[in-house]
Amino acid sequence: MSSAHAAQLQGPGLNPIAPNRIVRFGMFTFLASEVMLFGGLIMAYVVLRVSQGGHYIPEGAPKLPLLQTGIATVVLVSSSFTAHWAEVRVRKGKRASWQLFLTIILGTAFLLNQAYEWNHLYHEHMWFNTFGTYGSTFFVLTGFHGFHVFVGILLLIFSWLLSLAGKFDGSNHNFLECTSLYWHFVDVVWILVFTILYLI
Amino acid sequence: MYSVRRFAFLGLILFLITTGTICAEVRETNLWWTPDVVTKGGEKIDFLLHLIFWLTAVVFLVTQGVFIYFLIKYRRRRGVPAYYSHGNNSLEIVWTTIPAVIFIALAVYSNRLWNSELRHPAPEGSIPIDIVAYQYGWHIRNPGRDGKLGDFKPVVSPDNWFGLTDSTPGAQSSEAGKDDYQSENLLTVPVGKPVVIHLRSLDVIHAFYVPEFRMYQDVVPGRQIDWVWFEATKPGNFELACSQLCGSGHYNMKAKIAVVPMEDYQKLVAEKSKAALMELEKKKATSLPPDPTVPTVASSR
Amino acid sequence: MSTMVVPHEVHAGDHAHHQQGIFRTYIWSHDHKMIAKQYLLTALFFLIIGGLLALGVRYKIAFPDTGFPLLKYLLPTTMVSEDGIIQPGMYNMLFTMHATVMVFLVVMPLLIGVFGNYLIPLQIGAPDMAFPFYNALSYWLYAISGMMILYSFFVPGGAAAGGWTSYAPLSTTEAYNGTRMGQSLWGLGIFVNGLSSISGAANYITTVINMRAPGMTMMRLPLTVWSLFITALLLLLAVPVLGAAAALLFMDLNIGTHFFTSSNGGDPLLWQHLFWFFGHPEVYIMILPAMGISSEILPVFSRKPVFGYRAMVFAMAAIGILGFIVWGHHMFVSGMNLTLSATFSISTMVIAVPSAIKTFNWLGTVWRGSIRFTTPMLFALAFISMFVIGGLSGIFMASTPVDLFVHHTYFIVAHIHYVLFAGSILNIFAGVYFWFPKMFGRFMNDFWGKIHFVLTFVFLNLTFFPMHNLGLAGMMRRIADPTQYEHLRNLQPLNIFITLSAFALGLSTIIFFVNFFHSMFHGLKAPANPWQSNTLEWTLPSPVTLHGNFEKTPTVYHGPYEYSVPGMESDFLPQDQPAKPGTRVAAH
Ligand code: HEA
Ligand code: HEA
Ligand code: CUA
Ligand SMILES: [Cu+2]
Repeated sequence: MSSAHAAQLQGPGLNPIAPNRIVRFGMFTFLASEVMLFGGLIMAYVVLRVSQGGHYIPEGAPKLPLLQTGIATVVLVSSSFTAHWAEVRVRKGKRASWQLFLTIILGTAFLLNQAYEWNHLYHEHMWFNTFGTYGSTFFVLTGFHGFHVFVGILLLIFSWLLSLAGKFDGSNHNFLECTSLYWHFVDVVWILVFTILYLI
Repeated sequence: MYSVRRFAFLGLILFLITTGTICAEVRETNLWWTPDVVTKGGEKIDFLLHLIFWLTAVVFLVTQGVFIYFLIKYRRRRGVPAYYSHGNNSLEIVWTTIPAVIFIALAVYSNRLWNSELRHPAPEGSIPIDIVAYQYGWHIRNPGRDGKLGDFKPVVSPDNWFGLTDSTPGAQSSEAGKDDYQSENLLTVPVGKPVVIHLRSLDVIHAFYVPEFRMYQDVVPGRQIDWVWFEATKPGNFELACSQLCGSGHYNMKAKIAVVPMEDYQKLVAEKSKAALMELEKKKATSLPPDPTVPTVASSR
Repeated sequence: MSTMVVPHEVHAGDHAHHQQGIFRTYIWSHDHKMIAKQYLLTALFFLIIGGLLALGVRYKIAFPDTGFPLLKYLLPTTMVSEDGIIQPGMYNMLFTMHATVMVFLVVMPLLIGVFGNYLIPLQIGAPDMAFPFYNALSYWLYAISGMMILYSFFVPGGAAAGGWTSYAPLSTTEAYNGTRMGQSLWGLGIFVNGLSSISGAANYITTVINMRAPGMTMMRLPLTVWSLFITALLLLLAVPVLGAAAALLFMDLNIGTHFFTSSNGGDPLLWQHLFWFFGHPEVYIMILPAMGISSEILPVFSRKPVFGYRAMVFAMAAIGILGFIVWGHHMFVSGMNLTLSATFSISTMVIAVPSAIKTFNWLGTVWRGSIRFTTPMLFALAFISMFVIGGLSGIFMASTPVDLFVHHTYFIVAHIHYVLFAGSILNIFAGVYFWFPKMFGRFMNDFWGKIHFVLTFVFLNLTFFPMHNLGLAGMMRRIADPTQYEHLRNLQPLNIFITLSAFALGLSTIIFFVNFFHSMFHGLKAPANPWQSNTLEWTLPSPVTLHGNFEKTPTVYHGPYEYSVPGMESDFLPQDQPAKPGTRVAAH
């Protein structure tokens, strides 16, 4: 097998542009480390929450807007599908500019909702340093995730521009593939975070 | 250039230097080994320590012996090619299982000891002592004649170190607490009676470390540690050293430990708790709150 | 991501990099060989810093109240008193930064940054790393993190002083540590350093899995590559957790979150769990590549196949896996549940087994060899003895009741330095002496190399061995002034002795530095394969200049350790040359 891979790298002037499969592999390894990052944060949350048992949520703490953020969750999840849709089209060699654009819109919508929610909680006097670990964990988890969404949107915009410029074709669209991988990952993480913060 | 004789010679020299100098150094300050243990059960820890020491010593000497022997015997020689071998599976199995067995045995024995020494609670009627660590010192609260500590809230705050339910110092919460007395950086315990210490911290993590007692326990803010207990076997003066980095004053956050014969201890307790009670009366009379920084203190400074 | 790589890399293969300016060649180079050299020089610089910090530590312990006056012109009185005496607070900064620098800016970069970058592509027959861009990025992130950590000495309050383990709440509350900015910079520095490690690790893993030359099966990889590969996996999974912890620490310190504070529901032990979950894999991250290096050098200079190749590989894999379930052995007496301590002690004992296997296989490798005592070989051999000492002291601490006694004493410090200095650093020296010809096309001076070896060997033992005695005698770590304690006062001669040896150790390191830089320009010219070694990098000219490494991708016919094959005239058989028909070489 290894010979097969290396074969892709042979020839005069040994072109070290990694072929798609290698790039995707690299992306997966990177995501593995991301898993451990969120794993660490979530474990911290679990430990703190379990150790405090019943009175983890201090009295007087504002309620989280469950319904609204639930909708935002649906939006984010759907954006994952549009991203996938775009990728499939590109693989077929078709253009996917507006699917990507749609994904960007959905992602941004989610982020805006986050911003609104933070602002709202802030005026309810809930912030990183209030309501004990309840406030801290909530803002840190959503914050870390929000930042990842933000980065994801930047990547999406970039690949959108690339696709507008017609840079992608059926064989070469690493950037799009990695972006959507990353986007799916961010999505899954959110489902986890949403569950532990809002539902359980 | 690759003369092994030079190498072996050098090796010999440097080992002589190493061991030689160290021994010399150490003999002059007779600190070759651990301080003698003065607590019941401490000798068990010492036994395990010696066991592991001899085990590892043997392992070390054997492995190094074989190693050096190979290096000398199999140094490069004209016309003697190296032996072509990729290894030997039965050997691998042997030297996987043997250490594995040794290690597991060691672990099992260690944990048996660990359980019997630490996990089992202090015996009935052991003297309770309440120790609160802070940057940089030790507040200590001793039971009075009744041999009981007054009860207290677990929370500790800078103005009410021990979390006494009635926070004016000297005043005591419960009946049992009336005759308790406090001391700064001085811990006095009797010989031959188990002592259980309750460890709390005001600020950062400190540690209760007494080498002669073979005891170490971190003192973590926000939790109270009740499982540490010991029974001193001979009188003497020792030092309680904070052994967890706790800031710029860490290097001399220490307290005196006086292990005294039983009768002396009882005498001490008697007068201390009398003093405490009188203090209390005075407070009752003149109800102006006294200066919290000077409770009835037997300071070592 | 690759689209970012494309523009620079299309013309990589043809000798285009000659036209590239100084900037693309030396500073923002994408060539793994140049990046390795950048790492090498930077890390050696930090070795001097870390060493000098260590000497500061030693000086204070031995002469607690004799200062050298000139210090007071350099440092504020919060750190150094009028008559140049190092203040206790300053002492805490010294050993904290000593350890931080040595671990994150010296040993990891040297083992992983230098040897990983240089050897992986060359030894697997690849043109470069899979993602050269991220490789370059990784170096610069490392450099930046280094600067942040150094700079923290000069911010108000001074550098972090909570120990390299930065236990909360001391590290997370300004009121307690008084070094908010320093501690924050420490956290940021560690975070950036972590990003560097991760991008490096992802790169290595991808490269090893996907870019091996034809015929280079996993079981034909040189053990250096194996060790670096497993190390990369550990980095990939352990470092992010430290990153998370560092981020939380930073926020506790600066925006008042409550993760590690004892009030408001936070938990100081949470920090310890997060840190050590990273921290223990970390220590194996710092030893595995060193083991790989010695496993590479021993066969070459014994002219004999490595003993039990598969056992070696499996042992390293086992260390890697078990490494994730033993972190609690740093917390036996931290107030953690005592039953947990017991279980962790068992797993810790178990993880010692693979190390045992490796040790015995090294003995097997020199057995019936034809041993040449070159400088790299001497270091590699010394490593084995020293590592056994360090490992055996680990057994003491793995036994819970004994750890109850030696925890947080100089016994631990002795252990640290036998595994890290006498383990990792010795092998780093070995590796530098061994691959220097390939990197710079010249030999390092062999005579001075041997002098350096002997002095290092003597003085490291004189420095670190007595620490065991200090520990057993009850001397705590991290105390600025042992003479404060009656029961330590008569240990002071031993402390002074150690300090003198430490300075000698430092001075003997100077020999290495001089030798290194002198040989770089004036050393003997080296042939392509000076040590008659089998691995692929030696099939290339010294130094390797071609940006794509190999004119044409080599084909690999057998494992890397075919020395003294019976029935062959030469006693070595490079991996890219088929065995002469009739000669029997190992199948794998
Ligand atoms: C390269 C780094 C490295 C390595 C490889 C190791 C290896 C080991 N370490 Fe070490 N350790 C550190 C670096 C390392 N350590 C550091 C830096 C600290 C301090 C952190 C801090 O607090 O600042 C530490 C602290 C530390 C502690 C905590 C001590 C305390 O704070 O109280 C413990 C406890 O169990 C421990 C155990 C071990 C064990 C069992 C091994 C084993 O892997 C060793 C296995 C090897 C051998 C056993 C020798 C060879 C084997 C044989 C010759 C076979 C025959 C042997 C027998 C049959 C006995 N280490
Ligand atoms: C890879 C890791 C590594 C390395 C290489 C070293 C190397 C050294 N270490 Fe360090 N050390 C640690 C990792 C390391 N250490 C860790 C993790 C801790 C725990 C910290 C903590 O508790 O938080 C520690 C703690 C530690 C302590 C305990 C501090 C305390 O607890 O109070 C001491 C004390 O002696 C010490 C000493 C030394 C010495 C003398 C060296 C020597 O080997 C250094 C010799 C090298 C040089 C000196 C460099 C060469 C210098 C030059 C070429 C410049 C010119 C030289 C002169 C002018 C003399 N170290
Ligand atoms: Cu308190 Cu160290
Ligand atoms: Cu460990």
